[in-house]
Amino acid sequence: MKEKTAEDIVLEIKDKSELMVDLAYSSVLYDNKIIAEEVYDLENAVDTLYRTLQKKSLEEVKNGKQSIENALTLLRIAHAGEQIADAAQEIADVELRDVELHPILKMSIRESDVVFTKVKVEPHSVLCGKTLGQLKLASETGMMVIAMRHINKWIYGPDKNTKITSEDILFAKGPEDGEKHLIELANGTSTEI
Amino acid sequence: MKKRKSIFGKLQRTPKWKKEEFTEIEYEPKTVKELLTEMKDISELIIDLAYSAILLDNIEIAEEVKYLEVRMDKLNYEIRMISMMAARTKDDAEKLAGILQIAEAAESISNAAGDIANLLTLKSKTGPILPKLLSKAEEKIFRIKVIDKSKACNQKIGDLKIESETGIRIIAIRRGECWIYNPQSDTTIQADDWLITRGTDDGYQEINKFLKGEVKILE
Repeated sequence: MKEKTAEDIVLEIKDKSELMVDLAYSSVLYDNKIIAEEVYDLENAVDTLYRTLQKKSLEEVKNGKQSIENALTLLRIAHAGEQIADAAQEIADVELRDVELHPILKMSIRESDVVFTKVKVEPHSVLCGKTLGQLKLASETGMMVIAMRHINKWIYGPDKNTKITSEDILFAKGPEDGEKHLIELANGTSTEI
Repeated sequence: MKKRKSIFGKLQRTPKWKKEEFTEIEYEPKTVKELLTEMKDISELIIDLAYSAILLDNIEIAEEVKYLEVRMDKLNYEIRMISMMAARTKDDAEKLAGILQIAEAAESISNAAGDIANLLTLKSKTGPILPKLLSKAEEKIFRIKVIDKSKACNQKIGDLKIESETGIRIIAIRRGECWIYNPQSDTTIQADDWLITRGTDDGYQEINKFLKGEVKILE
């Protein structure tokens, strides 16, 4: 495998930290500790990435592959990503604590512009047996799948090669009118994507 | 349809963060729920805006990020005050602590976004490394101009169902000298608007054709 460049690592931090915010809010909305724990794991992953990046960017500067200014810019943007990841962990921490969630929390998250939704894929749904890439759910329904549960296995930030099978639970985010479409597709009442 | 939020979807001029910073905090009887919903919305919008500012090398969007950051400070202060007044028992306090922690986290996110937008002023001399970098991210930021022969003109965003048909989310609209941030479903699209959007390549292809008038409907 090709060695990751500093730029690759920055992108990974960016994508991961944004996924973490989504996961953290949905863990609170669905009172789901498993998702909250994943946010913790991702936070560790981001910390490791950030440390690797620090070393990598110094190396690249030393080898003359990157200018000092560029390396600094990369480090600064990654630092912001790391802080976003920390904040997501703080949100997940509320879910993991042994205190019952205040009902207002769920209501506030539910009422915001971007909704989170959780749907179960029924056996006769058109989604079964297709990959996210084939379905183009994000561009067809506006709903982006951020996590899914497949039997007892969880997939976080699924990509275009991830296949949906019956009984999967999808966690997705998107606009209000996209939510209905996704629910209908998953429970088989609609076959039109 | 959702109630329109007062600070979003308005035609406005930047900067206004300074004005916000110097106004005294007056105690307005808002609910914890309203405050937290707004904070969550801002925490998501502000990240997109910060990256857009960098990608498009646009100082005005960076100013809006700054404004939202200041606004977030105030919301966080207000939510603390209200929560304290609401707590009567230990049980109340425990549950409200969770709300304050999430509010605090939303504020940290906006601070991080502010740091991202600040990179614009510290731009490196060697050229646009960040725009190049961000154009490789999974979900990208696109800027699209609305052509007058497009069917989108004079239509409401909610009626066009742009996001649910294409997965493209409109972060901001530039109309002449003015900006509309986080347009709501009742915001109308006009000819010559520039839309700042976020989404996948597939979705971009679709909406671009629509806004250029090459296809008549989104499906």
